[in-house]
Amino acid sequence: MKIVVAYKWAANPQDAEVGPDGTVDWSRAKGAVSEYDPVAFELARVLADTCAGEVVGLTVGAAAIDTPLARKAALSRGLDSLVMVADDALRGADGTRIAAVLAGAVRAIGDVDVVVAGESSVDVGDRQVAMTLAAQLGWAGLNAVRAVTADGGSLVVEREVAGGVETVVAGGPVVLAATADAALPRVPGMKEILGAAKKPTQVLDLAALDVPAPADTIAPVSTARPDTGNRQGVMLDAADLPAAAAQLTAALRQSGVL
Amino acid sequence: MNVSSQAWVVVADDATIGGLLGAARPLGTSLVALVAGRREVAEAAAAAGVDRVVWLGEPADGVPVEAYGPAVGRVVAEAAPRVVVGPATDSGRVLLGAVAAATGAVVLAGASELSLDGDKVVVERAVGGGIALRRDRVVAGTAVVAVAPGGTVAGAAPVAVEEVDPGPLLALRVTDRRVTPRVGVDLGSAKTVVGVGRGLKAREDLALIEDLAAAAGGELACSRPLAEGVDWVGKERYLGISGQTITPDLYVAVGISGQIQHMVGVREATTIVAVNSDPHAPIFRECDYGIVGDLYTVVPLLAEAFRAARS
Ligand SMILES: Cc1cc2nc3c(=O)[nH]c(=O)nc-3n(C[C@H](O)[C@H](O)[C@H](O)COP(=O)(O)OP(=O)(O)OC[C@H]3O[C@@H](n4cnc5c(N)ncnc54)[C@H](O)[C@@H]3O)c2cc1C
Ligand SMILES: Nc1ncnc2c1ncn2[C@@H]1O[C@H](COP(=O)(O)O)[C@@H](O)[C@H]1O
Repeated sequence: MKIVVAYKWAANPQDAEVGPDGTVDWSRAKGAVSEYDPVAFELARVLADTCAGEVVGLTVGAAAIDTPLARKAALSRGLDSLVMVADDALRGADGTRIAAVLAGAVRAIGDVDVVVAGESSVDVGDRQVAMTLAAQLGWAGLNAVRAVTADGGSLVVEREVAGGVETVVAGGPVVLAATADAALPRVPGMKEILGAAKKPTQVLDLAALDVPAPADTIAPVSTARPDTGNRQGVMLDAADLPAAAAQLTAALRQSGVL
Repeated sequence: MNVSSQAWVVVADDATIGGLLGAARPLGTSLVALVAGRREVAEAAAAAGVDRVVWLGEPADGVPVEAYGPAVGRVVAEAAPRVVVGPATDSGRVLLGAVAAATGAVVLAGASELSLDGDKVVVERAVGGGIALRRDRVVAGTAVVAVAPGGTVAGAAPVAVEEVDPGPLLALRVTDRRVTPRVGVDLGSAKTVVGVGRGLKAREDLALIEDLAAAAGGELACSRPLAEGVDWVGKERYLGISGQTITPDLYVAVGISGQIQHMVGVREATTIVAVNSDPHAPIFRECDYGIVGDLYTVVPLLAEAFRAARS
C-alpha cells in the first residue's frame, strides 16, 4: 500500500507581527512542521507497518520550504521518502490552488492508495485543503479520523461524529484528515535524525505538474486588527499575594463581574 | 464564468441550517437549498423559507453524506450561483471542497460577515488563526463560504422537494456506530469561567482549579492541550478557535500562555484575569488583571478571597 502524508511547512502566527492596520508580517516567523501534522505522520506509519506499506511525505509551498533542516524534520518522522514542490509561484497561494498542486503531485507519485493529512494548518487553519484535494482527485474525503487499518483492498476508518464514533469502510482511494489527538507522535531520536539523510527526496517541477494557472477570483478590500477588548492590563503585586488577591477581588466586585 | 444572481446553501444531512440561511439570504435574488442526506432533512429545509429545495435522493443504508461530494460539486457548478454557503463542519467541509474543485473557487472559511457590494459578494473573515481580519471581494465566479450552521428553522409554507439523480456515489459505507454518552455543557452562556492550561502539573491538581471555579460560582474550562493530548478535561470544555467561544462577565485563565488560538475563543469576556508564572506570557498583554506567580500558591488564595467576597 502506498500512503502519502500531506504536511505543511508553516510558521506559527504567534511569531508574526500584526500592524495597527491588520497587515501581517511573517518575516520574523520561522517555518516548522505544522503543529498537528506529526499526528498524520504517526497514523500513516502505524498503518504502513501493519500492511508492509510505504510512506511518502508530500509538501508544497514557496521555495523556502526546501532547506536541509526542513527535509530532515520531515524525513526523521517515519517517512520512507519525501516529495516536494517548492516554487515561489506558490507564495501566498490559496487553499484551492495548494490542493490542486498537491493533487498533481499525488498523480505524479502514482499508485497512491491513501493520503493522510493533519487536522488544520497552524498558519491558515481553515481545515479545508485536504478535503478540496480529495475532490480534485475524485476521491472520497473523511474528516475527524482517529484510526485507520487496512482490510484486504479496503480501508477501515474510525472517525468522530457528533455524539459518537463511526466505522467507515472506504472501497476506493481516500483522503483522511486526522483529529488533533488521533495518535501520539513519536519524537524523532538521534537514530531517526541521522537516518533521514539517507532517505530519498524528490523535488517536482511545478510547471511539469500541469496544474491550471491561478484564477484571480478574490480581491482584497481591507485588513484590520481584531478587537481584543481594550484591556486594562493591571499587574498586581506578586510580592504580597494575599494583598493582590484581596485587591483583585475588590476590583472584580466593584465592577460587578464577581 | 458567468454567475446567476441566486444564493445557494449546501445542506449536509443536518437540518440545523439557520446560520446558513441567514448568511445566504441577503446575497441573492432567490434562495436554493441543495440537500445531501435524508428526506426528512430535505423536508425541514423546504419549510425553512427557501425558494427551492434540490434533493439528491434518499441515501441507501450506511451511505454517509460524504459519498455525495461529486454530485454536490456537479449540481452547483451547473447552476453557477453567485454564492454558495455551507456548514463549517466536518462533513460540510467535504461538500464545500467538492464545490471548490468543481468551480475553481476558494473556500472562504471562518467568515464573520457577508455582504453585497453591487453584485459582488464581500466576505470578512479571520485569517492566520485569528491574528487579523480581512475583507475580500469575490470578483469572479461563485463565492464559496463556510459558516457556522446555527439552529433549526421552520414555520414557512413548505416548497416542493425536487429530487435529482446524484449519479455515481463514492465508495463509502458506515458499518458501525458507537454512541458516546456526552455531558453537554453550555459554556457559551456561563457568567463566570475558570480556564486551566498546561501550567497544571498533574491531573489530581484539577481539584484546585475546580475549587476556584466553585468559589467564583463559575464553570471549569481549559486550553486545548488539556482536553486533547492529555485527556484531563472533557473535549467539550476547551476554549478557542477549534473549541468553544465564551462571552462571560469574568474569565480567569490559570497556567495558560495565551496563544492566539486560545484567545480567539475568550476575547469577548468582559474581564480577563490571568495567573501565570512567566511574566512574559502573552496572556499578560491581553488581560485586565494579571498576577505573576505559581498557580499552586495563587489559586488557593484567590479561591479563599472569592469565597469570602461572595458569601
Ligand atoms: C490550528 C490550531 C488550532 C488550535 N486551536 C486551539 C484552541 O481552540 N484552543 C486552545 O486552547 N489551543 C488551541 N491550539 C493550541 C495553541 O496553539 C496552544 O498550543 C495552546 O493554547 C497552549 O495551551 P496552554 O496555554 O495550556 O499551554 P502552554 O502554551 O504550554 O502554556 C502553559 C503556561 O503555563 C505557565 N505555567 C507553567 N507552570 C506554571 C505554574 N506552576 N503556575 C502558573 N503558570 C504556570 C507557563 O508559563 C505557560 O505560559 C491550536 C493550535 C493550532 C495549531
Ligand atoms: N502546503 C501544503 N502542503 C502539504 N499539505 C498541506 C499544505 N497545506 C495544507 N496541507 C494539509 O492540509 C491540512 C489542513 O490544512 P488547512 O486547510 O490549511 O487547515 C494540513 O494539516 C496538511 O495536512
